[in-house]
Amino acid sequence: MGGSTSSPAPRTATAAALAILSQLCGAALLYAILKAEGTWHVAGLLALLGLGFYLLERFPWIGDFVTASLARVPLVTMATAAVIVLGFPFLVGTNTYVLHLLIVAQLYAVLALALNFQLGSANIPNFATGASYGIGAYVSALLALNLGMSFWLTLPIAALAATLFGFIIGIPSMRTRDTYLALVTIAFGVVVQQLLNNLDWTGGPNGLVGIPAPSLFGHSFASPLQVFGWTLPSQANFYYLAAALVVVAIVTAQRLHGSRIGLAWNALRADEIAAKAQGINVAWYKVLAFAVDAFLAAFAGTIYAFYVSYISPDNFTFLVSVTIMTMVIVGGMDNIFGVIVGAFLLTILPEKLRAFSDYRLLFFGVVVIGFLMIRPQGLFPQRLRHYGGHR
Amino acid sequence: MAELLIQQSVNWITLGSIYALLAIGFSLIFGILNVIHFSHGDVAMTAPFIALAAAQILAASFGAFAPAWLVLAVIAAVLAVGMIGVVLDRVVIRRFRDAPAMMALVATVALGIVIRELIRHLYPQGSNPHAFPRLVSGVAFDIAGVPVNWFVLLVVGTTALLVALLFVFLRMTPLGLRIRAASEDRLVARMMGIRDHRVFQATFFIASSIGAIAGLLFASYAGVTRFDFGVMAGLLGFSAAVIGGLGSMPGAIIGGLVIAGIEVLAQTFVEDGASYRLVFVFVLVIVVLVFRPAGLLGRTTMEKV
Amino acid sequence: MSVLLDIENVTMRFGGLVALDDVTFSIEKGSVLAVIGPNGAGKSTLFNVVTGVYKPTAGRVTFDGADITGKPTYEVVQRGIARTFQASRLFSDLSVLDNVIIGMHTRTKTGVLKALFRPGASRREMAACVEKAETLLRLGSGDLYEQRYRPAGTLAQADRRRLEIARALASQPKLLLLDEPSVGMDDTETDALVADIARLRSEHPELSVILIEHDMRVVEAFPERVMCVDYGSLIAEGGFAAVRADPRVQEAYLGKAAAHA
Repeated sequence: MGGSTSSPAPRTATAAALAILSQLCGAALLYAILKAEGTWHVAGLLALLGLGFYLLERFPWIGDFVTASLARVPLVTMATAAVIVLGFPFLVGTNTYVLHLLIVAQLYAVLALALNFQLGSANIPNFATGASYGIGAYVSALLALNLGMSFWLTLPIAALAATLFGFIIGIPSMRTRDTYLALVTIAFGVVVQQLLNNLDWTGGPNGLVGIPAPSLFGHSFASPLQVFGWTLPSQANFYYLAAALVVVAIVTAQRLHGSRIGLAWNALRADEIAAKAQGINVAWYKVLAFAVDAFLAAFAGTIYAFYVSYISPDNFTFLVSVTIMTMVIVGGMDNIFGVIVGAFLLTILPEKLRAFSDYRLLFFGVVVIGFLMIRPQGLFPQRLRHYGGHR
Repeated sequence: MAELLIQQSVNWITLGSIYALLAIGFSLIFGILNVIHFSHGDVAMTAPFIALAAAQILAASFGAFAPAWLVLAVIAAVLAVGMIGVVLDRVVIRRFRDAPAMMALVATVALGIVIRELIRHLYPQGSNPHAFPRLVSGVAFDIAGVPVNWFVLLVVGTTALLVALLFVFLRMTPLGLRIRAASEDRLVARMMGIRDHRVFQATFFIASSIGAIAGLLFASYAGVTRFDFGVMAGLLGFSAAVIGGLGSMPGAIIGGLVIAGIEVLAQTFVEDGASYRLVFVFVLVIVVLVFRPAGLLGRTTMEKV
Repeated sequence: MSVLLDIENVTMRFGGLVALDDVTFSIEKGSVLAVIGPNGAGKSTLFNVVTGVYKPTAGRVTFDGADITGKPTYEVVQRGIARTFQASRLFSDLSVLDNVIIGMHTRTKTGVLKALFRPGASRREMAACVEKAETLLRLGSGDLYEQRYRPAGTLAQADRRRLEIARALASQPKLLLLDEPSVGMDDTETDALVADIARLRSEHPELSVILIEHDMRVVEAFPERVMCVDYGSLIAEGGFAAVRADPRVQEAYLGKAAAHA
């Protein structure tokens, strides 16, 4: 890291080739993991993944060089990414289970990116992302079921409702910190979950059933998607919807990270008193982090509700919040790419260990503890900002 | 009405004592580590399972079931859980002593998951609830016509005894004084060289055994135990400790009573209060922390600039 | 010349401890005030009261005609007071450059909506900040500019002090509070620091500086006005020579310093 050991700047042709190749490799690996069956197959892929991370750690210039290449040819990078994301369902074909996994993984990626503003950028504990996610899901579902509102209209309303909730949980953060603040967010999470579980109009423990599928220009998301003579299962609709949300989340994250707001969050993470001495209204920036987190989480919640068409309080427990936190920590705090990788790995891997499906949670717990002990900075640690093409 | 009040007061004291015992563990560990041991509730709730298993083994090997086996089993469980606490500290928690608070929090949450899952998988039919006997039965006396069970006296008596013992230990014995020194000023304690393993071992053993007693009383009070009781036990005990002020023993007791108080009040005076009791408890937690950010008896430390 | 900062009868108590006892003084635009006094005399507390870290128990702080007593720190900084810390408090996991850019927080405006929906404007703002920050880093002594992409936490001691000053200047303050800027510097570095401050004053004749210092080399360089604080009270004020000759100062400061050594 850092400019003092700047790696050789890649030439444009090399950069373009590398940008395409590295992303294709990533996609191939993801495909292989998704398709993997049987313990040995999965174990082999995990070993490959481990080797990859080991190489990146051992030879940091590889990572630097690839990152530099991607940044060098942004158009090629984005075009490749778009082709991969758009084309993936065609590759997967009729395997709806794989599509389902991808949708869930993408929604978790959004949630993890949302939480990253707090946990990663500002280092504020928040065990209530699951609650914001739930509020998004319930508000939109209730609007659709009771008022017959369309998905597209409920989306912004749910987001606003959750943002309001974010502001409310953010307020105690002005006065409490660390462990105490963690408890406040846990308390908010439990209160929301318990209310959902007990109120009549949220359907109590049974939740809400029969949330109608959204439609766009007359095309219902419940029906198969037909493109250029190809027929994709109906899950593909939601796959693309979730992918669009991931793009929104990435753009949001990048723009905030690159602006003075991201810097202000980083400043208060490093030293609150020094941040105040730079004129940063620390209390406001903390509340803001909560609000942005809740806003994005609500989008994910809305899509989830309309995708599965059935939600219950069990989908939005404390454990869900912990899972999202874990994705951020494992992926790498304040590293957008890392957080997405963390979300994908922690969604897909436990599913792939179906051989020990009963031991999934145990596996999850052990992995998290091991990770925090061995590599607390995450798979992809945060990077310093670079300006104006400096490497 | 008077009967109801007395009855609910008895419930309050009973539940409050159990929460206080849990909170003391959180507070003790936080005191020396500055870390919340989130899985403390899960550690505590392993005790009823260990006691059940021990009682069954004893009954199987010595023939018929005798009350003595239960007593032995309970003692075995308390000691075993104390050791579990020491081992967990050694293997996991201690490594997060100097890490950011968040890391320790997430790690111990994960540890809680591991403990619960282990109970579920290792204990025969671990997913199902298991009946747990009242450790003592019968009515001791009655107040204005309301019977007070021996069990209530056991809970209150045990709590009072443990608190007294802890008080004496922390103030009169060399090891206790070292624990107190370490928890009152980590920096000073570190400079004085009190960073030896014994302080940590002792603290974890004591906190976990007290937690085990709380877990046994809790299971006995509920008449049943389940692998995931630790989540709520932990959350309520943690809340009690924080409301009282982390690191403060009297605070832990007051916090336990406050949490139990709001729970009992909600159940008594609010329609459908039983379902909403957790809502009331955690709204109270939020309110207390907003107005007293360091808890009721906690000291707000001003950072030196 | 007009008064920039006016401290009237400020008292700061922490429980039983009186950190500042009825302190009154003022500083004019474009002047330098050096504050000396033994450790724990209340010098840093003074800075903390001025910048709103502590709310004084009694008294009034007026800055540029406005009452800022007990106003939150960020508001005080916005009005044009910048400071450095005695134990330098840099954002150690951020680059040197980012540290300075964060110092411009009060001079930039982008909010969430603008950052999200007008990314071009936000990017231009950052680019301007980068340029200004690089200029600031080039101006001071040392080679901070060459190290601008290093994490601030890895800097050498003298560079850390310089970076704190650069970061404080980034907010274009009217009043600069320097808390023992020469700590951890050798003689050459201290001389360069003195030259830096002198250059700053000539470039910004309106800028006022309050300087807490132990190093008499630095105080001597700004001899017009020196103030000695002991046990929270102002015990002497005037030119460097006069203050140094004051018997109370000798006793409180030099005497104790000698006894310490």
